[in-house]
Amino acid sequence: MANHESAAQDRIFVWDLPTRLFHWLLVLSYAGAWLTFDDNRYLYTHVFAGYTFFGLLSFRLLWGMVGSRYARFRAFAYDWPSVWSYLRALFTGNAARHVGHNPAGSWVIFLIIGLGFVVSIAGVITLGGEEQHGPFKGWLAFAAGTNIKEIHETAAWLLLALTAVHVAGVITESFVHRENLVMAMISGYKFGDKAQAVNNPYAIIAVVMLLMVAGSGFVYFKGYLNAAPDKPYVPFQGPQLPDNATWRQECGECHLAYHPTLLPARSWRKLMADQSDHFGEDLALDQETVREITTFLVNNAAESRLSEPAWKISSTTPPDQTPLRITDTPYWNKKHDDIPGTIWKLPKVRDKGNCGACHLDAQQGTFEDSGMRLPKAKL
Amino acid sequence: MKMNILSLVLCTALSVHIASADVVDDMLKTYQAAGAQNFSADSGDRLWHQSHSDPGQAGKTRSCTTCHGENLRTKGKHVRTGKVIEPMAPSVNKERLTDPKFIEKWFRRNCKWVLDRECTPQEKGDLLTYLRKQ
Repeated sequence: MANHESAAQDRIFVWDLPTRLFHWLLVLSYAGAWLTFDDNRYLYTHVFAGYTFFGLLSFRLLWGMVGSRYARFRAFAYDWPSVWSYLRALFTGNAARHVGHNPAGSWVIFLIIGLGFVVSIAGVITLGGEEQHGPFKGWLAFAAGTNIKEIHETAAWLLLALTAVHVAGVITESFVHRENLVMAMISGYKFGDKAQAVNNPYAIIAVVMLLMVAGSGFVYFKGYLNAAPDKPYVPFQGPQLPDNATWRQECGECHLAYHPTLLPARSWRKLMADQSDHFGEDLALDQETVREITTFLVNNAAESRLSEPAWKISSTTPPDQTPLRITDTPYWNKKHDDIPGTIWKLPKVRDKGNCGACHLDAQQGTFEDSGMRLPKAKL
Repeated sequence: MKMNILSLVLCTALSVHIASADVVDDMLKTYQAAGAQNFSADSGDRLWHQSHSDPGQAGKTRSCTTCHGENLRTKGKHVRTGKVIEPMAPSVNKERLTDPKFIEKWFRRNCKWVLDRECTPQEKGDLLTYLRKQ
């Protein structure tokens, strides 16, 4: 056990380079994930932050077994009585100083690592279910994915609370023992007996870590290098949705051929039955065409749950409502309520039915999170 | 060999041209059979540019040019959805006036929008006579 009391004033090397790099990369990926979770457009970046977070935690698991002295789990595996007596000592003002992690801090660290795994594993399962992407694509239905997302989010908030406890502990400890622990996690040096020092900084392993993170980042984002304004890069490609030449031709003559998955079957039936008064226009389609398009629309309507928007629209539109416009569905309105009015008035957008102005995959009907770009308002 | 390819291309181009001429001629004959008199490109021109009051919005007007634009050789724009409409003039858009079913569908759809009624055979014939020369 490394819980020596120490009054020595030598600067000794305690945190090896991989441990420190792990710590700060974990902070970065964690912050990145928080900054990108809310806006669907950043899903691809959010997922990269999550993969990095998971990779770093996995490394830490390994490093906790084979790393240097203070990085090993054995060095800070305290039992509850030790934690309790440390906390009590902290309040009476005579908590013992530890070169490595103190008992209270160590429990927070184990909880952060454990909860971090819960967050990232639940995250990648959510990605497989709700978005149908990633390694678990196709394993879960959309609804199941949303349930896992609850776990992902709850665990993420708990992790945030634990992070606050961790930071509070670091600050407390820094004052109590008059040693800047944040600097220690940067430089690797703390005060202690020379005999307690770690000798090997394991710089090579740190370099390999950095290269792996940078390399995977390059591979992950390299599609953006070939992107051009007229050929934007859409990282997550949606599923191949059913198509029909007559539907695409006839509906696409006046507006975007809105994919059947975007409205319930009852809406399509009503729209096609009223084709002689289609928002004020007589479509003048012959019976055969009406029949073919109606069949295609009804068979692949939102209830088919062929895509995330299909599932969301079919499950959130009240059964007693028959919206004739996609923009009348509760889901559409919820997803677009934060779009500033100035965007809608842009000449490029103009109309709320002009999905393709922002959704790069509007023609395919997939409406992937990462396929969104808000056009820039010209000043 | 080169000659052969050239003549093949010429024949193909010519046959497309003849086909579209046939389509319009056939339609004009049908309209005459339905009671229309001789057709006039000038009447078609007038009808194409005539403004009609918009039943939806007071003070606004509708005409063929609302969506097709003033210049038939350039692209138009759907006034409500903003969707681009390919040029109407057959001289720049070879696909125009080649499909009777397509033409009748759009006559019905657009006459009702602009005039609030269907076009008569006379009006359709005048419009086709005007448009085919563009």
